[in-house]
Amino acid sequence: MDELIYNFAVWLDDTRWSAMLHESYYMYNWVESTHVMTLMISLGMLFLIDLRMLGYALPDVPASKIAQKLSIPMAFGFTVMFITGISLFYAVPVRSAQSVWFRVKMVLLVACAVNAYLFHKRMNESVSSWDNDARAPSRIRHGAALSLGFWTIVVICGRFIAYDWFDCDYDQSGFIEFVAGCVPGQERF
Amino acid sequence: MPTSIFGPYTRTIFTGAVITGLLLFSFTYARVGVWIEVQPFFEWMETTWFGVIGKTWGAAFASIQAIHLIGLALLGGSVIVGDGRVLGLILADVPARTIIDRAHKVFFWALMTLLATGIFMACGVAMKLYYLPVYWYKMLALCTGVFFHFYIRKPLLQRELEDINPWLLKAVGVSSVMIWFTVAATGRWIGFSG
Repeated sequence: MDELIYNFAVWLDDTRWSAMLHESYYMYNWVESTHVMTLMISLGMLFLIDLRMLGYALPDVPASKIAQKLSIPMAFGFTVMFITGISLFYAVPVRSAQSVWFRVKMVLLVACAVNAYLFHKRMNESVSSWDNDARAPSRIRHGAALSLGFWTIVVICGRFIAYDWFDCDYDQSGFIEFVAGCVPGQERF
Repeated sequence: MPTSIFGPYTRTIFTGAVITGLLLFSFTYARVGVWIEVQPFFEWMETTWFGVIGKTWGAAFASIQAIHLIGLALLGGSVIVGDGRVLGLILADVPARTIIDRAHKVFFWALMTLLATGIFMACGVAMKLYYLPVYWYKMLALCTGVFFHFYIRKPLLQRELEDINPWLLKAVGVSSVMIWFTVAATGRWIGFSG
């Protein structure tokens, strides 16, 4: 599996557009800046929805209204983040594919998606009975707290990708090599 | 302050003058004298506990960077919701006063988080920042944002929105979003410079 991912990353790395994106100072930095700055839209909206459910933000605005209206800019933000995120991976595929932080981030993104699905499902089932309450019921609050926690770790992992502490071209412990998917004798990093 | 001359616009005019003064100062030769004077302060910043921790433990520095980003997300969320409501784009069916006041609370705590983590990060790389033009642009944008938010936007929006010229409201909402996105963009660009 690790070799398959590595070979795919090497193939991506060999494509012309990957090199062009990586080597273009302004283009790469614009893509990365857009990825980070879209946090203000996507996570900004998401955090406000979660904090509303926990009773810390906009407590006197109906919860369903907050969730419904803020979902539109949030979806726009996540779409831009997704596109720029794929572009960033495409620009540096080998190192990203073997980054411990990138891998943890991907797993957490799946967890975030599952949590968001369950959160909305539970909310839509019961919101009419607590829509105007300052705090949502405990099941919804747990979902909101999980969402805040997951996304906080996603941001931390995203930030840590830039650091080379666990890169495969350094001597690493067996555990790190396993998690990063380092391939014995690999020539590219 | 000469309130009798400028009437209810005293604070707005005073703040506008301060921001204009800051811009003039930043883009003229006058800044060089002050820039040289503050160098010892930046050298001192690197010797503080924050500076030593930031330079010694990369993981601590990176973790604070991540919290800075979370603060940025919250600030962005509060600005978009607050100014989006001022512009009538978001939550238009909820009373504007409620949204503006509640969004301001989130904005305040997000700004505090950004300032606290920003000071820590600045201490770790103080001399690098001292020589980076983009850092000073960010400080300029940040000062403009803080002055604008607390001395123009907030007092203005404390009045009944129906009594305010709609074009003035639009100008304030758009300016606020633009200023804070400029603060974020210049901050991000610090990472690419030096």
